[in-house]
Amino acid sequence: MKSAGLASFCRRRLALLALVAGLCLTLPAVGPPSVPAMSGSDSYEALRLASEAFHEIGQKYVQPTDEGELMQGALRGMMNALDPDSSYLTPEEYREFQRGGRSAPAEAGLELIYKDHLLTAVSVLDHGPAARAGLKPGDLILKINGQLVRNLTTQEGMRRFQGPPGTVIRVQVVRNGLPKPLDLSITLEPLPPPRLSVHLLPGDYAYVRLPYFQDDTPAALAGLLRDLKRQHPALKGLILDLRNNARGSLEQAVRTASLLVGDREVVSTRGRRGTESQVYRGKSQDVVFKTLPPTMVLVDQGTARGAEILSGALQDHGLATLLGDKTFGLCGITRAFPLKDGAAVIMTVAAAYTPKGKKITGNGLTPEVEGKKPAPGEPAPAPPSVDQDPWVIQALEYLKRGAAPAKRS
Amino acid sequence: MLPSVALRKLTLLLVLLAVAGSAALAVGEQPPAQETLRLRLGGPSSSPPPLADAHLQNFTQVLHLIEQHYVEPKSAKEVIHGAIQGAVSTLDPHSSFMTPEEFRELQIETKGKFSGIGIEITMKDRILTVVSPIEGTPAFRAGLRAGDQIVKIDGKPTRNLSLTEAVKMIRGPKGSKVTLTINRPGFPAPKDFILVRDIIPIRSVKARVVEGGLGYIRVANFQDQTDLDVRGYLTKMQQKFSPLKGLILDLRNDPGGLLEQAVQVADEFLSSGLIVYTQGRTPQQNMRFYARPGQPGEDRSLPMVVLINEGSASASEIVAGALKDQKRAVVAGAKSFGKGSVQTIIPLEDGSALRLTTALYYTPSGRTIQDKGIEPDILLKEPEPTDAKALQALRDEAMERHMRGEGITDKPWNQPLTTADLEQDPVLKRAVEILRNWPPKLVAQQPAS
Repeated sequence: MKSAGLASFCRRRLALLALVAGLCLTLPAVGPPSVPAMSGSDSYEALRLASEAFHEIGQKYVQPTDEGELMQGALRGMMNALDPDSSYLTPEEYREFQRGGRSAPAEAGLELIYKDHLLTAVSVLDHGPAARAGLKPGDLILKINGQLVRNLTTQEGMRRFQGPPGTVIRVQVVRNGLPKPLDLSITLEPLPPPRLSVHLLPGDYAYVRLPYFQDDTPAALAGLLRDLKRQHPALKGLILDLRNNARGSLEQAVRTASLLVGDREVVSTRGRRGTESQVYRGKSQDVVFKTLPPTMVLVDQGTARGAEILSGALQDHGLATLLGDKTFGLCGITRAFPLKDGAAVIMTVAAAYTPKGKKITGNGLTPEVEGKKPAPGEPAPAPPSVDQDPWVIQALEYLKRGAAPAKRS
Repeated sequence: MLPSVALRKLTLLLVLLAVAGSAALAVGEQPPAQETLRLRLGGPSSSPPPLADAHLQNFTQVLHLIEQHYVEPKSAKEVIHGAIQGAVSTLDPHSSFMTPEEFRELQIETKGKFSGIGIEITMKDRILTVVSPIEGTPAFRAGLRAGDQIVKIDGKPTRNLSLTEAVKMIRGPKGSKVTLTINRPGFPAPKDFILVRDIIPIRSVKARVVEGGLGYIRVANFQDQTDLDVRGYLTKMQQKFSPLKGLILDLRNDPGGLLEQAVQVADEFLSSGLIVYTQGRTPQQNMRFYARPGQPGEDRSLPMVVLINEGSASASEIVAGALKDQKRAVVAGAKSFGKGSVQTIIPLEDGSALRLTTALYYTPSGRTIQDKGIEPDILLKEPEPTDAKALQALRDEAMERHMRGEGITDKPWNQPLTTADLEQDPVLKRAVEILRNWPPKLVAQQPAS
């Protein structure tokens, strides 16, 4: 593990990079098309409107404004208006993006999105620096190093939490149920491989936690599942915990799903005019369980991207029942488009669909079984141990009732 | 005021205050939500010149890329609204962009009345909660109470609604019905309240009298007619007492409102001299506002105390600053918020609008209020709760009183404040004592730096 550290670290960086943009897949950039004549009166009017607004700002704002800065703000705002995965990158940010973020060897272990003018932690990676600093999924980041978060993009928000190891980042967060914002300090570190863990539950049931994906995660999970199968041939059911897992690429998800669905379809993508259409399948030789024991997958608002693809495939093939909360719905295929001045935009060009054709991008997945929630107003209890976790208990009851299907995989 | 530019008054309402105050999530960053506004009517003064070529090219290129490649069709207008929003957010935090819908909403609210059920709502622990029903409205008559949790509106759960969305759903045309499902301690299960919407007037001024010929006027915000309401109460008090021996103008937690209203209210108490002046980048934005003689509150023999605190912002600071600088009143309480900028609403072609910071304003002595606030002549501290829990308890207590109609301004103006009322509000009690022992001994003023 030690000797492979650097290589796997580099791979992780690459994987991370694809995700920084919130991408399931980053396709090669295409060249800039020539500036077209605006088609249609809609576009013309829109441009007129922008022109009018910029003119008013330029003329009347209390201080002289910098047109370049205004335009960057405008392009940022324009991309932010699309979806949280679409971003504008300044020339500097784009260079950084192309370099692959090698200058940022450490990170906070957060998946953030900038949406509705708020920077939200979709997931806080288990055991990562942000998790240890006390950040929770769903936290809204109000300030970074004392500076109010304003007019950011998802890309730029993620970049603020990368840097040399040991960098301390102070954040102020607002959390549901707390009367006052919290001040926390995060020390950046290289992110270790995800800790996959297994807990055996009474009555031959197993709980498996998959906190986030990296490139070697499918292999690690395969090993873990094979051991489980060998040591517990009479396994009655499986609980796969994909809550708070928003880091995972399409490719990683497909290879992981392969262990359970074999050569069936995992996910497909489709763009606006039938472009970017592709179907992704698993491989039959990867499959671990011939007959998958009845399986419950735990999902929540922090379940996004790769974890959604995996959940959707298991759900659609009838291999698992989802329990919990609706997932985030963040799994678009994005692409970088360079602009003439060295800047670029990253844009969602295709949506991801489950094998049965449900659109994941922007919609999320709805679990069959809603997870039990604390009464409104009551704060969520501190993270319990696995066997006291209310949703694990609920999933276990569900399995014991024989309500979850056992299907051949 | 300006020959070529028509000015129109604009106000936000209390209800909107709750919206901006709690929904923005910029906890503690924003001033208490309201700003001094002026509305410029009419289209752009001249047709806008084209943007610099390089910028325009970038812009059209991105627009085209979105048109060609984005995963789903997007209207160019929606994308441009995002762009303007993004451009404005590179400016100061008081500048913003309003979509046509938001701008319409603002215009409706500025008329000083709207059609709804008459509740002020907020997000408390992310649950939509009634702050208070407004007296005489459908909500009040139906028995809605402060602290009621609204779990559903017309059957739709409020769990994931924003405050703005909730306000929108609760409002509607006069005569139409809305069903609120209310959770209240003591209810075995949430209960439906069916309310018929009506025109809800919003008053920003309330008043009471105090034994011994004193008057108390509370201004909640500066909106249309605030000056007339202030004058109305003042005239009635002067008739009741002849002479009125002292007046308390309470601007605590008044987040501001219209610049012109601030000028008019200050003018009620001043016969001449500068009230406030503004400075912007263009000569159009440089304005000086002077007091005129002829209002009932001008007589300097009427002792006056203005109460401010850290929640007094913008228009409140203009009034407090002018009355302090002209030595018309003693300003008491705590240092004010410190928002010294003026926003102008600039309507755009498609019905959307910019709210743009166009000027800074200065008190007659040339002080800017920005970040500095108004220092009181007499520092009066509100009782300090020892911790967050105690603060919550205090608020709950105030809410309970309000619910029972026992808040200080919940009774008719001519009913004198009792000793018990004053015990509720130690700062007000001190203000009454100051007036009774007029003139106060002031600590030597610091020389202006």
